[in-house]
Amino acid sequence: MTTQEKKAAPKPKIGVYGFTGCAGDQLLIIHTEDELLNLFGSVDMQSFVMASSNPIEGELDVAFVEGSVSTDEEEEHILDIRKRAKILVAMGNCAVGGGPQAMYTGDKKYKERLQKVYGDNVKFFIEPVEAKPLDAYVEVDYYLPGCPIDQKQAFALITRLIHGAVPETNPHPVCHECKLNETHCLLLDKKFCLGPLVAGGCDSVCPSHGLPCVGCWGPIEDGNFKEHFKLLESFGMSKKEITRRIKNYGGHKILQYLENL
Amino acid sequence: MSKKEIVIEPLARVEGHGGIRVVIEGNKISDVEVRILEGPRLFEELVVGKTPEEDLSIVPRICAICNLSHKYAALRGLEKALGVTIPNVTQEYRHLMHNGEIIESHSLHLYFLALPDFLGYDNAVAMADKYGDVVVKALQLKKFGNKIMRMMGGRMIHGENPVLGGFGKLPSKKALIAIKKEAEELLPFAMATIDLLAGLEIPNHIERETQFLCCKPTHEGYDYYGEFFITSDGKEHPVENYKEVIIERTVSHSFAKRGTYNGAPFTVGAIARIILLRDRLTGQAKEACDKLFNERWHRNPLYNNFAQAVEQVFSLESVISIVDKLLESDTPEIAQRTTETGSGTGAVEAPRGTLIHSYKIKDGKTTYADFITPTAMFLDDVEAFIRTGGENLLANNQMENIELKFEMIVRAFDPCISCSAHLVEVVYK
Repeated sequence: MTTQEKKAAPKPKIGVYGFTGCAGDQLLIIHTEDELLNLFGSVDMQSFVMASSNPIEGELDVAFVEGSVSTDEEEEHILDIRKRAKILVAMGNCAVGGGPQAMYTGDKKYKERLQKVYGDNVKFFIEPVEAKPLDAYVEVDYYLPGCPIDQKQAFALITRLIHGAVPETNPHPVCHECKLNETHCLLLDKKFCLGPLVAGGCDSVCPSHGLPCVGCWGPIEDGNFKEHFKLLESFGMSKKEITRRIKNYGGHKILQYLENL
Repeated sequence: MSKKEIVIEPLARVEGHGGIRVVIEGNKISDVEVRILEGPRLFEELVVGKTPEEDLSIVPRICAICNLSHKYAALRGLEKALGVTIPNVTQEYRHLMHNGEIIESHSLHLYFLALPDFLGYDNAVAMADKYGDVVVKALQLKKFGNKIMRMMGGRMIHGENPVLGGFGKLPSKKALIAIKKEAEELLPFAMATIDLLAGLEIPNHIERETQFLCCKPTHEGYDYYGEFFITSDGKEHPVENYKEVIIERTVSHSFAKRGTYNGAPFTVGAIARIILLRDRLTGQAKEACDKLFNERWHRNPLYNNFAQAVEQVFSLESVISIVDKLLESDTPEIAQRTTETGSGTGAVEAPRGTLIHSYKIKDGKTTYADFITPTAMFLDDVEAFIRTGGENLLANNQMENIELKFEMIVRAFDPCISCSAHLVEVVYK
């Protein structure tokens, strides 16, 4: 009798990277506890510097990148990762839209703010640039929005990608999740809630705590911005005030929706 | 004379993107830089013009691991500025929240970021074969810290639930009882960790004298917040005077904001707290401290890992006693602000050290904000310890694995690079 040779398909090569941000999205993966050991077991983890020493930087099946591009060094790094990775996932609000550090995008005052925090005549050893999302530099295949990402949404995508399946999109706003959770609508109380304009995935966590949505998943494509602005204005808030607040987590991605209001 | 440059980049198993550069000339170390490679995020400027509610939402995004410490420091500062007086029971809920974060952060650092070095592994998952029990239990402990953070914060990271004057939603009695039970179940593992650490040999090549600073609790016991800083020279300083206590300076080769005390580097974090406040410990935390503490802690930052283990015990015991108090308390109202204009400074002990948030509010909008993070405070001391350690290794010709030995020093401090991203290395023209 011949013994059958044991062979298995190679595990997908994965890299997890952190650019400028709070590291919260990588931390959420580390914080899965139950899934973390399975994840390390079911993939070939090439590079995950926050969790392990001695990374290998070569070809990758999937790269997960957290953080905004905020230095010239990071710009080079994202170009390099893109070259090596078959699939690139922008993970978290900073990678998707630029993050809170991109809330003033377009006001042309970046240099001024930099100087206010660091003082005059400062020459940095790496050159800082105003925060931009990954897709300002490279093509991004999938987006995992959120500040921070949601474990359930993230693992649904990660699981499909490492098994060669196509992940589902999440085309619903926060309001949809409020309805599923039977959460009382804060707009009925005339509270400033951004839910109708914001992508879901958080399981409507803030409204579930009686707190308005601050918009940390970024804009949803089919949000009715014009009508929602009108509604919020009728609560006694100025357009300027609403715009300022929605930009806190809107980064680059919000700008197109604010153009024709 | 030979010149050698050691660059360790990226620095693994720390929060954020950093590196170390050490220049060796002959048998002297001529330069040490702990480099912060993340781009500046300019949070102090981001919040200008915002309402205090927006500040509270935005500032925890500085750092994920200690997001609730940022929220807590901001709350303490903003509530002073706006004349908000919270009921005692709300303060107890905040303690519960903060103890959850200490457990989450310490267990992450101690078992997953630091311990692999001491046991000779690249990461904690690789440790699982030989130390399976420890890894599984450590994950449980970390999960428990996260559970409290989720319960009090609203979600594990960047929860919006803590608001000015109180919380959006408070946990049910049933949830509190479950938390207490779990804390009781985890205490034996936290104590077993003390014995595991007691068996480790801590190298002595990096030892030098330094100074320590932490918040002085407002009561007789041990805790993670205060209205005064206490320092190892026996002095106390009101937190409002933080700018006179911690002198931020610019140096030619290094970066814009770094703190010194008395013109010299200092250490903050678990080791500083245990050194300055250990007489206040009681119960099993005292027992744990008595087992591990020795006089070398004053000179060796690797003992910060041990100090974190003692604080894990303290925080588990605190969770139990806080829940007991909460179960007998009424549900607090959210305290309201009494003014729209004012200024205030809040200080708390983040897991990795003293964290200061200072705000000026005018007519309900932020006009000024200043944050000093623990990493900004201790980075000078990290470099000083690398220098001492490196020179001793050179003198004894122990160059083997010198990179790992440098990394272990940095990791012992549990630095938070996201927090300190306004600590960019700079040179003046």
